[in-house]
Amino acid sequence: MANVAKKVSWSGRDRDEDEDGRAGETTPLLNGTGPGAAGGARQLTPSSFLRIGQLSNVDLNEDIHELQTELPRQRPNEIPHNEKLLSLKYESLDYDNSENQLFLEEERRINHAAFRTVEIKRWVICAMIGILTGLVACFIDIVVENLAGLKYRVVKDNIDKFTAKGGLSFSLLLWATLNASVVMVGSLIVAFIEPVAAGSGIPQIKCYLNGVKIPHVVRLKTLVIKVCGVILSVVGGLAVGKEGPMIHSGAVIAAGISQGRSTSLKRDFKIFEYFRRDTEKRDFVSAGAAAGVSAAFGAPVGGVLFSLEEGASFWNQFLTWRIFFASMISTFTLNSVLSVYHGNAWDLSSPGLINFGRFDSEKMGYTIQEIPIFIFMGVVGGILGALFNALNYWLTMFRIRYIHRPCLQVVEAMLVAAVTATVGFVMIYCSRDCQPIQGSSVAYPLQLFCADGEYNSMATAFFNTPEKSVVNLFHDPPGSYNPMTLGMFTLMYFFLACWTYGLTVSAGVFIPSLLIGAAWGRLFGISLSYLTKGSIWADPGKYALMGAAAQLGGIVRMTLSLTVIMMEATGNVTYGFPIMLVLMTAKIVGDYFVEGLYDMHIQLQSVPFLHWEAPVTSHSLTAREVMSTPVTCLRRIERVGTVVDILSDTSSNHNGFPVVESNPDTTQVAGLRGLILRSQLIVLLKHKVFVERANLSLVQRRLKLKDFRDAYPRFPPIQSIHVSQDERECMIDLSEFMNPSPYTVPQEASLPRVFKLFRALGLRHLVVVDNRNEVVGMVTRKDLARYRLGKEGLEELSLAQT
Amino acid sequence: AGLPGDLPELEPECRSLLAAFAEGSAALTGCLGRRARPVRLCQGCHGHYRRLLAQYGSIARALGNSSESHNCAKSILTSDRLQIVVTLSEFFNETWEAANCANCLKNNSEGLSNSTEEFLDLFNKSLTCFEHNLQGQTVFLSPNNYTEVCKNCNETYTRLNDLYNNLQRMNRQGGESGHSAHLCIDVEDAMNITRKLWSRTFNCSVPCSDTVPVIAVSSFILFLPVVFYLSSFLHSKQKKRILILPKRIQSNASLVNIQEKYS
Repeated sequence: MANVAKKVSWSGRDRDEDEDGRAGETTPLLNGTGPGAAGGARQLTPSSFLRIGQLSNVDLNEDIHELQTELPRQRPNEIPHNEKLLSLKYESLDYDNSENQLFLEEERRINHAAFRTVEIKRWVICAMIGILTGLVACFIDIVVENLAGLKYRVVKDNIDKFTAKGGLSFSLLLWATLNASVVMVGSLIVAFIEPVAAGSGIPQIKCYLNGVKIPHVVRLKTLVIKVCGVILSVVGGLAVGKEGPMIHSGAVIAAGISQGRSTSLKRDFKIFEYFRRDTEKRDFVSAGAAAGVSAAFGAPVGGVLFSLEEGASFWNQFLTWRIFFASMISTFTLNSVLSVYHGNAWDLSSPGLINFGRFDSEKMGYTIQEIPIFIFMGVVGGILGALFNALNYWLTMFRIRYIHRPCLQVVEAMLVAAVTATVGFVMIYCSRDCQPIQGSSVAYPLQLFCADGEYNSMATAFFNTPEKSVVNLFHDPPGSYNPMTLGMFTLMYFFLACWTYGLTVSAGVFIPSLLIGAAWGRLFGISLSYLTKGSIWADPGKYALMGAAAQLGGIVRMTLSLTVIMMEATGNVTYGFPIMLVLMTAKIVGDYFVEGLYDMHIQLQSVPFLHWEAPVTSHSLTAREVMSTPVTCLRRIERVGTVVDILSDTSSNHNGFPVVESNPDTTQVAGLRGLILRSQLIVLLKHKVFVERANLSLVQRRLKLKDFRDAYPRFPPIQSIHVSQDERECMIDLSEFMNPSPYTVPQEASLPRVFKLFRALGLRHLVVVDNRNEVVGMVTRKDLARYRLGKEGLEELSLAQT
Repeated sequence: AGLPGDLPELEPECRSLLAAFAEGSAALTGCLGRRARPVRLCQGCHGHYRRLLAQYGSIARALGNSSESHNCAKSILTSDRLQIVVTLSEFFNETWEAANCANCLKNNSEGLSNSTEEFLDLFNKSLTCFEHNLQGQTVFLSPNNYTEVCKNCNETYTRLNDLYNNLQRMNRQGGESGHSAHLCIDVEDAMNITRKLWSRTFNCSVPCSDTVPVIAVSSFILFLPVVFYLSSFLHSKQKKRILILPKRIQSNASLVNIQEKYS
């Protein structure tokens, strides 16, 4: 057995996977099972041990044969990154409540009234989440507006000066340098301080709500970097928006407030200690994400539905109501602060970071004949979205493989910024589309080669922040853009946005998608009115809106929440139906080619993400084939030395350990008694809760649940806990601390059954037992996430170190 | 001697008020119509408008000397479905607002404000300048040959343009609360006419186009990413992932069954 284990680990290059609670029963442990009461980690009856031993012997031998004969060449240990991997760096969150004795004691101690205050505290936290998210959104908005205004004024003055005198190439250089240097700062802080703040953050939050622990994702440091990064990348003129990152920011705020402390700042406010658990934190994070959406688009219902769509497997009605409350507070805060800032204090006219403006005039209505046209636009959006995703897929793969050094990432971001400015400049320079200035509808009118009193129409699209360009495309009167301008703009912006997404800057993809869609939608509307000789469908703004919806739907493939977000952002309920149709068509058409952008990025990051359901053709797989085995078990009364050895074994970084009966009488079956987590063990070791010590000093304080919560969420590593040689010989009694009723499945359970249990309850460890209640294996997230429905049926992903 | 209660005839005071309003609105309409092109509404008609406002005000305030229920305001303004007086006065108000005339009048609406006077002065000057310089050559004029005008009137035109931009900026800063960002229509139209003359008819504002340096600089910048990606593709070490073999039973179900049977 030992021999076999060694061979296996050789072929795995001595690197056991550090999957949660997975096997990794290394030789010292097995040997440790030897003499007497101090014996092994597993006490099994001879017969059962033998049986299992034989079984695994046979199987593993077969395995070895295969491995030795052909596998080493076919499957090299080092492979280039691809999308069919699962990374070991991601772990699950503990959503399952450990109902150990301490928990029961606490519940007894807290009376009914105290639970009421807990409930009130939840509401207070939600209100605070809403307020703070709104304030952060205001901060971003105001800073971006001012900095971008400053930049555009400087460049505009420069261009105006050089248009008269000649030397426009200097203006181009100025613009490109300004952009590149601003983006450089934004990219530097992301690449070197907190890489997890890159991108829109929506994939990360999606993973978090799915139950994957992404390191650093909800830290205060991440929030700070995210906010600064967004401001800098929008000011730097990249083809990005500030809306997606609001969702991440809201989530971080929620996670921070609900814990009543910040480990980044090393401050503990001693409040909300009850909520220091993954379960509670996840509820608040979903509230924060909703508040973020709500602040970004002025769409409180859309925010709630976003959280519902992304984290729906753990949900209840009261939570929905609370989340809705947080969303409403968030948009209201943003609205009131921004209206004060804009000088009309009681007006409440800016509910979100982006306002699509009012779509309620007579000519903006739609007729039933237009619905097929909208559906056609949905098809176009789906195809363009799929193209966008496919291009971005190749680009991201290239980036992961070759541009992984932070300095290179910064350089890349700077180049993109410079090229964005250059493309914009060249387009404006070449454009001969001049429109008369009407009042101050254009924020930074560039005259360039137009006659006095006219401005360059291309400049309204390129020489502006993307949000403003979107609104212009929706609402500028018919004839403000000529078709050539729109066509060129769509083409250029499509590639720029595709190139930009995935850079090491924090920025969202919502606004660029909307902008591309609005541009081609408007173009579509204009050509339609040419074709029909300007009949009822004269207003291109509404087609711009539908195009924007189609493009966004084609790229991100969100359904329910996106419909409601768009509906709320336009403030027109009658648009709900066409928007829904457009998004539906875009999703169906897009899914035919490639999957959504966020899912694609989750896959490329090798995250063990659990979808709604198990792959449809997987009923023939049983828990026996899915599970990992053998399992590292602990006895109910375990030697401290063994525990320390297991925990500090770097090759098997498990997080959950089944606890089995510690009866020294070997004739008895070592049935499953409970489950204990690494974090709990570490707290136990830290407080030295040993049987001998309890006997020595009866006055010793009993460990409470609070001690576990205080250590959450960053439990110290085992290396930092000192255990002396004498203490190693002590015994530790786990029965009080383990979860006495872990979820188990029999070996014969099918994969979809296991999957359902796992996904619906948000489990982290699922113990597989035989009919004698003996532990035979352990199912964790990565065991389930590796099965995926690919192009040629069921595929299995491999595990890899990243 | 008339009918009791509902009087078919207005009281004399009311009648005179109504007549005055009719006169005033006729005068204002005439004024607006006559000054529609080129637009001189605010300069020419503000007196009429002010008078009409006063007349409307006196109707609205006037109480007839009979019982309270039969005052002038009520019988003129609100006793029928059409309410023509109200409609007329609303029309004038809206037109005035749309033209943004308040913007170039003094605060008490008596006369043009100083900045507007200055602007119109300069505007007239530039027009005279244009005329002056064109006079000699009208006959032999080839459409693109206005260099004389461009040279001589450049100073006036630039001053006018700057003043206009200045006015606009001031208006935008001060006008956050009250008016919209437009200047009054007279000023806007005057500027429009001048600009059109200047850059379309005379073709005076010919910007220097320096296409070659722009193309050079932009192609340099566009070339950089190509270099970057190529070099990182060639020189950067490709990131490898280390595969890890999972520990699990690889057997199929039949094998398990056999095992269990024999044990």
